Amino acid sequence: MNWTLALPEIALACAGLVILLVGVIPGRNTFFGCTMAVIGALLLAAVLVLGQPEGTALGGLYVADAFSGFMKILALLGAALGLVLALDFNRRESLDRFEFPVLALFATTGMMVMVSANDLMAVYMGLELLSLPLYVIAAFDRDNGRSAEAGLKYFVLGALASGLLLYGVSLVYGFAGTTNFDRLADVFSGNGGVPAGVVVGLVFVVAGLIFKVSAVPFHMWTPDVYEGAPTPVTAFFAAAPKVAAVALLARVLLGPFGDLAAQWQQVIILASLGSMLLGAFAAVGQRNIKRLMAYSSIGHVGYALMGLAVVSDEGLRGLAIYMLIYMLMNIGTFAILVGMRRRGRAVERIEDLAGLGGTDLGRALWMTVFMFSMAGIPPLAGFFGKLYVFLAAVQGGFWTLAVVGVLTSVVSAYYYLRIVKVMFFDEAPAEGGLDATTPGLAAVTATTGIFNLVFCLYPAPLLLAAGLAAAALLG
Amino acid sequence: MGQRLNRDWMTMTEPMLAEYFPILVFLGIAGAIALAMVGGSLLLARQKPYPEKLSAYECGFEPFDDTRRRFDVRFYLVAILFIIFDLEVAFLFPWAVALGQIGWFGFLSMMGFLTVLTFGFVYEWRKGALDWE
Amino acid sequence: MAVGLSHYLAVSAILLVLGLVGIFLNRKNVIVILMSVELILLAVNLNLVAFSAHLNDLAGQVFAMFVLTVAAAEASIGLAIIVIYFRNRGSIEVEDISTLRG
Repeated sequence: MNWTLALPEIALACAGLVILLVGVIPGRNTFFGCTMAVIGALLLAAVLVLGQPEGTALGGLYVADAFSGFMKILALLGAALGLVLALDFNRRESLDRFEFPVLALFATTGMMVMVSANDLMAVYMGLELLSLPLYVIAAFDRDNGRSAEAGLKYFVLGALASGLLLYGVSLVYGFAGTTNFDRLADVFSGNGGVPAGVVVGLVFVVAGLIFKVSAVPFHMWTPDVYEGAPTPVTAFFAAAPKVAAVALLARVLLGPFGDLAAQWQQVIILASLGSMLLGAFAAVGQRNIKRLMAYSSIGHVGYALMGLAVVSDEGLRGLAIYMLIYMLMNIGTFAILVGMRRRGRAVERIEDLAGLGGTDLGRALWMTVFMFSMAGIPPLAGFFGKLYVFLAAVQGGFWTLAVVGVLTSVVSAYYYLRIVKVMFFDEAPAEGGLDATTPGLAAVTATTGIFNLVFCLYPAPLLLAAGLAAAALLG
Repeated sequence: MGQRLNRDWMTMTEPMLAEYFPILVFLGIAGAIALAMVGGSLLLARQKPYPEKLSAYECGFEPFDDTRRRFDVRFYLVAILFIIFDLEVAFLFPWAVALGQIGWFGFLSMMGFLTVLTFGFVYEWRKGALDWE
Repeated sequence: MAVGLSHYLAVSAILLVLGLVGIFLNRKNVIVILMSVELILLAVNLNLVAFSAHLNDLAGQVFAMFVLTVAAAEASIGLAIIVIYFRNRGSIEVEDISTLRG
C-alpha cells in the first residue's frame, strides 16, 4: 500500500477541505484570501508532482509516469492561471463567493486523478470529480438566466455522456474480466480475438470521452455552455479540463486498448476531421466572441486528436506539445476577453473590440499575438503546435488528415484575422473605448504572450519533456 | 444447557430455519418493548386527545389533500442534502463486515472518509443550509 | 427457465434504451431527463453486478457501490441546478431551454 505516491492529489484534496472550512467564516468575504490559498495549493501540488517518483500505487488503481507528470503540470498551471483571471471579474459581477476557487480546486483534483488513472474505476471517479464541480461553476452566476441555462445544459449532456461511458465500461469489464489497465492490455495482446462485447463497450467509452473533450460529433454543448457561463469560468473550461480530458482519452486508448487500435483509429480520425472542419466553418459567422472561442476550441481539439489518430511516438509528442501551447494561447486570449468592459459593464461581442488599437495599443498588440498564434502563423507558438502534429500525420502516411488540417487552418485564419482587423481598422463606437485592464490580467496576458513569442527560440526543453511523456505512454 | 437446547433444535428442524432463530428472538423483544411503551403510556400518562393531536402527522401538511399542489422549495433543499449524506453511508456496510480482515489501514481509511463527510457537514451547517428560515 | 447472464444483460440493455429514449424524445420536463439519467445508471449497475456474479469477481460490485454514491451526488447537483434555473425562468419545460443559440 504505497499510497504516498498519490501525495499530490491527497495534499490538494486536504488543502481544499481546509480552505472550505476556513472560508465559511460568517460575516466576512473570504473570496480573495481563498483564491490566493487555492493558487498556493495548486502550485504546491505542482512542486509535489515534479518530485514524484514513478510507479503504480493503491492496488494498481493509480499510476505516476512521465505522461501523467507532464499533463498534471499543465492542468495545475491552467487552473491557477484561470483563477487569476477570475479574481477581478468575480468581484465586479458580485460573484466573489469563496466557493468558486474551492470548486475549481476540487475539479483540478479530479483532473489529476483522471490523468493518473490506471483502472476504469479510477477513470470514472476522476471524471466525476472533475465534472460535478464544473456543472456547479457553469451555473455560478445564480441570478443570471443564461448562466443557469448553461449549467443545466452542461449537466444534462455531461450526465448522459458519463452514463454512456459507464455502460461501455461495464461491458468491457464483463467481457474482458477486469478493469485494470495492465491486465486489460494483457487480455487484448493475446491473439485469441476480441469478444464483440468489448468492441461494443469500447465504442461507448470512446463516445463518452469524445463528449468530454468536446470533439465532433458530441460537441453541441460547447458553444452554448461557453457563451452562457461567466467569462472566467469559460476560460477555466477551455484550459485545464480540456487538457486533462485529452490526456485521459490518450491514456485509455493507447494503454489498455492499444492493441485494438484497428477498432478505434477510424473513429478518432473521423472525430479529428469533423472537429477541424466544424471549428473552421461554424466560427465564421459568430458575433459573440465567447461563442467564437468555443468553435475555435473544438477546432483545436481536432488538431490535437490528429496526434492521437496516427498512433505513433511523434504523434503523441505532437499532442502533448499541442495541448501545452493551446492551453497558454487560450488563457492569454481569455485574459483579454475577461477584461473587456465598457463603462464598467462586461461586453462580449466582437464589435466591442473595435478601435482597441487606437485606445489601448498594448492590449491590441497582445491580442494580435494570440490571434496570430491561434491561426498558426510562424514564428509564434501556435505554428509549432500544428507543425508537430502535421509532421507526425505525414510521417504516418495520413495525408487526408494533414491536408484537411492545413486547409482548415487557412479557413480559421480568416476569423482570427477578422478580430485583428476589427481592433485596428474599425472605428471605436460612440460610447468610447474599453475600460483599462487590471494589473493581474495584464500580467497573465504578458506572461502567456511572451511564451507565445519566444517558444520558437528555445523549444528544446519542452519538446524533450513532451517526448518523454509520449514515450512513457507508448512504452 | 443452551448448547444442548440448540443441538436439539438442530435435530428437530431444518438447519436453515435454525439460522433464523435469532431473528425470531429479536422480533419477540421488539414486540415486547413496543407493547411496554404503548401500554406504559396508556397506564401512566394523562389522556387529553383533541382532533389536531389525533390526526396523522405529515411534516406540517394537511394529511389528506390534493397531491398535485406545490410545496415549499426548501423541502427540495433538505432532500438534496439528505441524498448525499444518506448514500455515502452505503460504504459503511461492507467496511463493517470486512473490518476484521482489513486491519488498521482499512479502519483509518474509513475514518478519513468520515472526516471528509464531516467537513462537508460543518460547511453546510455554517452556511446555514440546515436552518429552515 | 433458469435466469442466466444473458437475461440480465437484456434487461439492462432495455433500461439503457429506455433512458436514452427518455432523454431524446422528452419534450416536457427536465425532471424526466434526470430520471432517465438515473435509469441509465441503473442499467450500468445491473450490468456490473450481473457480470460480477458471473465472473466470481468482486470488483464489479465495488464499482457498483461507487456508481451508486456518485449518482446520488450527481442527482443532487442536478436538482440544485434545476432549482436555480426555475428561479430565473419560472419554468422547467424542455422547449423553453433555448435562449442560447448562435
